[in-house]
Amino acid sequence: MIGVRSLEKEYHVGDHVVRALRGVTLDIAAGEFVTVVGPSGSGKSTFMHILGCLDRPSKGQYLLGGRDVSTLPPDELARVRNETIGFVFQGFNLLARTTALENVELPLLYTRKGAVKAAERRDRARRALAAVGLTDREEHHPNQLSGGQQQRVAIARALVNEPSLLLADEPTGNLDTTTSHEVMEVFAQLRAERGITIVVITHERDIAAWGTRTIDFKDGVVVQDQQHQPTMGSRAAAAV
Amino acid sequence: MASPLQRLRALHPSIDIGFKALTRNRLQTGLTMLGITVGVATVLAMMAVGAGAQQSIEQQVRAAGLNQLTIKAGNWKPKTEDVGGAVAHQGDADDTMRLPVDELMPEVPEAGDPFYGVDVLPIRFHPEDDPMEKHDHPLAWQRLGDLEAGLGASATLSFDDAEAIRELEGVQYVACGVHGNARVHYAAPSGEKRWFTRMHGTDLHLLDIKRTWTLRTGRFFTEDEQEEKAQVMVLGSVVAEKVFGVGVDPVGQEIAMWNQNFRIVGVVTSASWVVRPAAGDDEFDAVYMPYTTTHRLLNLTKLNDITVTAASTGEVSVVAKRLEALLRQRHGITVEKPDDFTIVTEATRAITTGGLPPNVAAAIAGNVKELERVTLEQLAGTLERASGTMRWLLAAVAAVSLLVGGIGIMNITLLSVTERTKEIGLRMAVGARGRDVTRQFLTEAVAISLAGGAVGVVLGLLASYLISSMLHWATLVSPSAVLVAFGVSAAVGVLFGWYPARRAAELDPIDALRHE
Repeated sequence: MIGVRSLEKEYHVGDHVVRALRGVTLDIAAGEFVTVVGPSGSGKSTFMHILGCLDRPSKGQYLLGGRDVSTLPPDELARVRNETIGFVFQGFNLLARTTALENVELPLLYTRKGAVKAAERRDRARRALAAVGLTDREEHHPNQLSGGQQQRVAIARALVNEPSLLLADEPTGNLDTTTSHEVMEVFAQLRAERGITIVVITHERDIAAWGTRTIDFKDGVVVQDQQHQPTMGSRAAAAV
Repeated sequence: MASPLQRLRALHPSIDIGFKALTRNRLQTGLTMLGITVGVATVLAMMAVGAGAQQSIEQQVRAAGLNQLTIKAGNWKPKTEDVGGAVAHQGDADDTMRLPVDELMPEVPEAGDPFYGVDVLPIRFHPEDDPMEKHDHPLAWQRLGDLEAGLGASATLSFDDAEAIRELEGVQYVACGVHGNARVHYAAPSGEKRWFTRMHGTDLHLLDIKRTWTLRTGRFFTEDEQEEKAQVMVLGSVVAEKVFGVGVDPVGQEIAMWNQNFRIVGVVTSASWVVRPAAGDDEFDAVYMPYTTTHRLLNLTKLNDITVTAASTGEVSVVAKRLEALLRQRHGITVEKPDDFTIVTEATRAITTGGLPPNVAAAIAGNVKELERVTLEQLAGTLERASGTMRWLLAAVAAVSLLVGGIGIMNITLLSVTERTKEIGLRMAVGARGRDVTRQFLTEAVAISLAGGAVGVVLGLLASYLISSMLHWATLVSPSAVLVAFGVSAAVGVLFGWYPARRAAELDPIDALRHE
């Protein structure tokens, strides 16, 4: 699914050159649930941005589904983001004063063939919300939802275009422990049901334990990469 | 079911997003709209004043008869223009003038002639030409087609010509004319009244052409009367007063001419304060009857002249050219032959009868094809100057308020971009391209300016109404002016929304997402 080869990323901050990634090579197979851990400044966010086609590497190759996307122009990258990648952010990033349903519809406005028709948008957004268990919250605005519910709306938004890769940047950073595990259980369930490849950045070990594989970043390189038995939520276990 | 607004919003999601942004900050949006509103209202008022002035100029020009052409039978000047685009030279003009003069000049007596050496030149005098003599029958030169017919009275124009002219592009009204002098008799209770006056056999369309005329009483003759060659007569106001007395309505009375009785149906007089009816003029010291009646009574078939008005005042020369081509073709005149008719426009008449030496006037009339346009411009200029100040003032206000409005739109759009940087980042993350983001903010800017424009149009209509009712300026709001006003507001939206929208599109998605 994902293959990165000698990935390097440099930033120029004034006269300084910050080397955020110093040569990362790894593969992620389809259906893996990868958690990325590491301290601040370890390069894990930069790695995530490149995986998400929000940024391009300074050096090295990034193959997504067998296609080299490291050199694509901005408009092409936008297409890739729209069609194959779903994002979940720490701060939820929902549009205020906009209903949950309309938030979920957002990616459908920017598909290759232009905006999806309103009726179909509504229909697909409803199904995505149902998949994260929010059928009864469709017309709620973000400020009427709890943190966990907001994050689940965000997950529904990431799912609505049926991507093959789900990227989450500290999805539990703004949530309490109980809610955090509820959200992680949603990820585990999605992987189990749909076989979506999931990459989650976190700095909490117990959150990382939900993955099938944990990659440790430090100073722009991978220091540890190990497979392990994931924590299984009751619903995910039932699905398996 | 769905309102037009809903349908518009369904058209494209960017439009929908733009509208949502508008309803979010109502006060800000309203204040920003204000600049555009004032600007558009002023633009519309300006155009209304301009168009109103233009219209009143046109009306003045038409009232002055400057869109009028008269085609006279016969031609005293050779065709000098338009031979390979050549212009008439002074020499041609001399020839032009000499031609009729030569014909009128008596032959110079030669040796052997009984008049040779006699200092008195013989005068060829026809008894009918005696100005002191009163005739109750048409004079020889009035009998059209007569071999003795005088210059300018050639029998070349027919009713069929008039009908063909009616079909010509750019022609508005056509009136046939047969003219002469005649004496009218009225058997008043106090004794017989007589008046020697002009007789016009004319067409019912004459009243459409003579815009400065008005009917004092009664009516002009009708189409039926014209077809039936009825013996009806419309009197000029001078004739009515001389024969019937001031303040007496002669409509319904009988009057005699050529020993025939005519029923009086109306009295025409001048509606313009510039032209006062006076004894001896050609218009109101005159009587009018259907030209068909004249034809019947005098046993004639041809016309003296055809009066034509051009639909557009600027088109007089074009129409004159078309008329010339049409008549030359109808009369079978080959290229090298001169016209057998003369086209006179009001403007050329003004010059040729305006006290200029005849040869100079002829040279001018021959050379300056655009003559009547010059006259029109002079006339228009006066009115144009009067409304010009007003329009410049409005244009300045419009420019300033549109600029202010535009800057307001730029400001609110920039603010919106800053406020929603994170949203832009998110949209980019889920697949929005630069152009999608540009479109979103451009729509927002254009939506504000169009909404402002719509209010501005309403205010502009109100303003033009107030200008015309309070300042007594002529105003005219055309649908195209409303469209232009809308267009201007949309253009301001695009122009001033472009920079913020581009800035939004060029944001880096990661930075935008991190923005707090």
